[in-house]
Amino acid sequence: MASTTKELVKTSNLTKTYPDGTHALTGVDFSVTKGEIHGLLGENGAGKTTLSKILSGILKPTSGEIYIKGNLVRMKRPSDALGLGIGMVHQHFALVRPFSAFENIVLGTDLNPTGERAKEAKAGIAELAMGVGLQVTLDSPVESLALGAQQRVEILKMLYRKVDILILDEPTSSLTIKETGELFKSLLKLKEEGKCVIFITHKLREVMDFCDSITVLRQGKVTGRISKSEASPITLARMMVGRNVEFELKRPPMTPGEEVFTIDNLTLLDKAGKEVVKGLSLKVRRGEIFGIAGVEGNGQTELAEAIAGIRRVAKGSIRLKGIETGGKSSSVIRRHGAGLIPEDRRQMGLILEMNVEENVILGKQRDLQFRGSLTSIAWRKVREFTSDLMKKFEITAKGPESPARSLSGGNQQKVVVSRELSSDPDFIVAAQPTRGLDVAATEYIRKLLLDSRGAGKAVLLISAELDEILQLSDQIGVMYEGRLIGVGPAETMSRERIGLLMGGIVA
Amino acid sequence: MSLDFSIVGAISVTGLNLMVPIALTAIGEVFGEKAGVVNIGLEGTILTGAWSAVYFSWLAQNPWVGLLGGALTGTFFGALHGYVAIWLKGDQIISGVGINIFALGFVPFAIQAVWGVQGSFSKCSVCGVPEISTPWSPLSYFVPLTVVVAVGFWYLLNRTRYGSITKATGENPEAADAVGINVEKVRFLAVMIGATLAGLSGAFLSIDYTGGITKDISAGRGFIALATVVFAGWKPMLALAGGLLFGFSQEVSSFATTLPAIGHTFPSVDYIFSALPYVVTLIVVATAIGRSRFPKALGTPYRRE
Amino acid sequence: MEESAFAALMGFFFGGILLVVLGYNPILAYYYMFYGAFGSLSNVTDMLGNAAPLILTGLTFAVGVRAGLFNIGAEGQVYVGAGAAIYASYYFLPAGLHLGFALVLAGAAGALMAVPTYLLKAYRGVNEVITTIMLNWTAYFGMLWVAIVLLADPARPEKTISVAPSSRFPDLLLGSVSTSALLFAIAVAAAFYVYLWLTPSGYELRSVGLNPEAARFSGINPRRPLLSALLLGGVSSGLAGAVQVAGRTTPYALYTGLSNVLNYGYNGIGVALIGRNHPLGIIVAGLFFGTLQAGFSTVQLYARVPFEIIQVIEGIIIFAVAAPELYRRFRGALKK
Repeated sequence: MASTTKELVKTSNLTKTYPDGTHALTGVDFSVTKGEIHGLLGENGAGKTTLSKILSGILKPTSGEIYIKGNLVRMKRPSDALGLGIGMVHQHFALVRPFSAFENIVLGTDLNPTGERAKEAKAGIAELAMGVGLQVTLDSPVESLALGAQQRVEILKMLYRKVDILILDEPTSSLTIKETGELFKSLLKLKEEGKCVIFITHKLREVMDFCDSITVLRQGKVTGRISKSEASPITLARMMVGRNVEFELKRPPMTPGEEVFTIDNLTLLDKAGKEVVKGLSLKVRRGEIFGIAGVEGNGQTELAEAIAGIRRVAKGSIRLKGIETGGKSSSVIRRHGAGLIPEDRRQMGLILEMNVEENVILGKQRDLQFRGSLTSIAWRKVREFTSDLMKKFEITAKGPESPARSLSGGNQQKVVVSRELSSDPDFIVAAQPTRGLDVAATEYIRKLLLDSRGAGKAVLLISAELDEILQLSDQIGVMYEGRLIGVGPAETMSRERIGLLMGGIVA
Repeated sequence: MSLDFSIVGAISVTGLNLMVPIALTAIGEVFGEKAGVVNIGLEGTILTGAWSAVYFSWLAQNPWVGLLGGALTGTFFGALHGYVAIWLKGDQIISGVGINIFALGFVPFAIQAVWGVQGSFSKCSVCGVPEISTPWSPLSYFVPLTVVVAVGFWYLLNRTRYGSITKATGENPEAADAVGINVEKVRFLAVMIGATLAGLSGAFLSIDYTGGITKDISAGRGFIALATVVFAGWKPMLALAGGLLFGFSQEVSSFATTLPAIGHTFPSVDYIFSALPYVVTLIVVATAIGRSRFPKALGTPYRRE
Repeated sequence: MEESAFAALMGFFFGGILLVVLGYNPILAYYYMFYGAFGSLSNVTDMLGNAAPLILTGLTFAVGVRAGLFNIGAEGQVYVGAGAAIYASYYFLPAGLHLGFALVLAGAAGALMAVPTYLLKAYRGVNEVITTIMLNWTAYFGMLWVAIVLLADPARPEKTISVAPSSRFPDLLLGSVSTSALLFAIAVAAAFYVYLWLTPSGYELRSVGLNPEAARFSGINPRRPLLSALLLGGVSSGLAGAVQVAGRTTPYALYTGLSNVLNYGYNGIGVALIGRNHPLGIIVAGLFFGTLQAGFSTVQLYARVPFEIIQVIEGIIIFAVAAPELYRRFRGALKK
């Protein structure tokens, strides 16, 4: 127990509940001492980002106290946090892209970036940068800098404002190995100066290499707080993902059939030309669920987009029943027998302003089964179809005319899933299918996927929810930094092993 | 028909004069858009500014009061538009269209109401300001003023702290908010400043250029200015150049219609030539877009998550 | 719905203030407005006749909004539609066919004007507000020229040749052609309704307008609805131009300053906004605005209020529609 005066940050019984009822944080006691690099570890939805947003003034807690340098504080906006010496570097940088690094660093301060005092300030910043090993070209526009350099600008921005508490959210997600090493060297220097760093990550190796002590969050609660010496990959993984739990849903044994869906050496690039999926290959057979586990942000979104036909394929191929689908449009891919369930049902799966039946025919508006006279849409047929679907899939709503936005998340997702399943696809890809759903809806959707498997379909499940992967999958692969690592039959993949893989440690 | 030096001179001077309203408005809009707010209502602002310039000159029997009145009318409409777009988080385009339609009705209505004439009022003896005399035709003082304004805004945007802050709110309001900048206030001020210039352009048109007010005195210049902003890549100095281009195309078109040779081959050809500036705008906009870099947060109201 | 009523109220309220400030009597003005619309049979038919082109131009803007666009090209399309309908009078066709021919030409002219807007938006990403305004002005000067040079009436220089009697709208009800013109406009509105809600491509158009990402994910190509919206809008406003010359009263021609076709396009925006961009609402709003316009010609005569006040009121209404928040705050303030 460190004494209070040496604790730069302390939270007591911190709770955050969102207006829709999600418990993001519950009773979190968290503290960081001076001169410490503290790791904040957890999966998606564990609460790490929420905690950091509260500490940096973006969000307000529902209850609990925050002490900065021993004083009780109440922050209302990000500038309050800055004033208290807390600076956060987000995963997606908050930089003004056409501005130079220098201009970004001094933005909002009293300094005129083009005035007479600027030269002096620039020199001062250069010195500061050198002192902590964060050198960066100050005069080029930040959009032309490598991501590692952009990150350095963000950190310098904080240091220039004399922050003592630096929060880094998944800092190494866009860095090369070399840049990661350099970052860590800088963090060590900051440590020497008595500052503290809160290092948010899901990567086990990093947290063990870089951090003096680690707090692990799981589903909004603190599940562990240990020092570097006490930490081992297995203990951390266990704290991060929990112990093996008995599942309600049993997966009936199935003998998988022929190969239906193949990905061969797929490479996908982001807008900047960087590889976000690197040489990924997998096969899914009939009557089988292939589960891709992994913390979000390791390429899963891009992979799902490419499979659905809304992202270009840079290299490699995607084949459905032998036909190349990489680069084709979504309607063509569906016509070949695919059911596509997007990870963001509100943005990509549904048109919330329309009602249920209008959403049910999204993508099917030209189908003959709904054709009326003179190429019109026979809404009566659509309504019948929708009612049947709603009955079959237990979608609760006032009726097919209810606006989609009035449905609960679970029912919304049921609309999306039932729509895709209704065309009897041979292959289904489901990305984060139960994200944000309550327990009942989650169980229902999972059962739907199992039933599809039982009906002989091939299912590719992409999920950051480890329980889900373990419950449903016959084959499991883990995505980490754009690659599929540790692929194997479910029986060989223990919870701990997957936890390690999700953290980047191949065991 | 040889090209007389005096003809070239006359065209140049009028062309420069015609540059003023478009350039001034465009420069102001550059500033507003750099802050992330688009003002479609420029046309209406110019028109109403023109009217109030004549009105206030007439009232005070002093053209300078008129010019000031025109500019302040711009500020007023900028504040209205800014209020809706920034604080009420409303639709920026609809708000602008509303202002335009309002102005289209207000100006002829007000001309009739105040002076009892229909459509235009030119019996305004005080509606004129001193001009620079040249060997060809008078050059307005607004021309050098516009150049100064262009340079001034270039300096403001690129060499001052305030300019840096303004640009940040238009590019990445979250980043600006994170370092303590009040995004809404900065944007509001920028919109008002931009609209003030539009009002001033209107005042120029009525007091300086024509010496009266007609109900279509703005003639689409507000929209040409919007196109100029894009064409100029949101740079004040290029907006000046754009204004020059359009000013000259307008002058060339009206000059061409006076040429006897052309008048004889085509009846009423002046109409065809009047369309020239608008066609030029279309062509420019079609070829220039895609190469320019617009403020990333343009047109979207800022909400802190 | 209430937001529209609130916006209309704001328009009348602030319009009234303006009238008072400039020395007019708003009560008198508004009274004569209603008299002008409903006071006599010819006033009523005039009012109905005003509504027809407004409904059509309102549909143009509305179908654009439904597709996610801001299409304000109706104004220019009305001009060319009117011109095309007059041009049709150079041909000789039997009664019903002649009108049909004129309408087809008018619709085609309007649609043609929409093509550059489509091309520039789809292939160069040019904002349609700028394109359509430029095209409106080009059409204005173009049609001024056409009216004077190509279509002029040698006997009466202030107008073009009249639309041939065989090409006018029939005089069905109330002794005026305006009624059949209105019925025609309502029929067009009904057609738009059928297209948008009962056909697959209308569905695709609405989807792209509401959630372009989900539409794309479902396999809809965003360019097709864009083209449909612009072309259909062009047809509708072209027809509005035809209605203005063939479906009103003598002399069934274009005035050489285009004065009898001006501003219908821009006023259509207000009609669409008040009508919530829905064909049924647009019919009602068209009648509402038609009333305003009819009324204010009388207001000019009797209460001596310049008729442009209607545009002032319209502008305020549109401005009020821009911020739904305004209505919410007003309601909130009332509750206290």
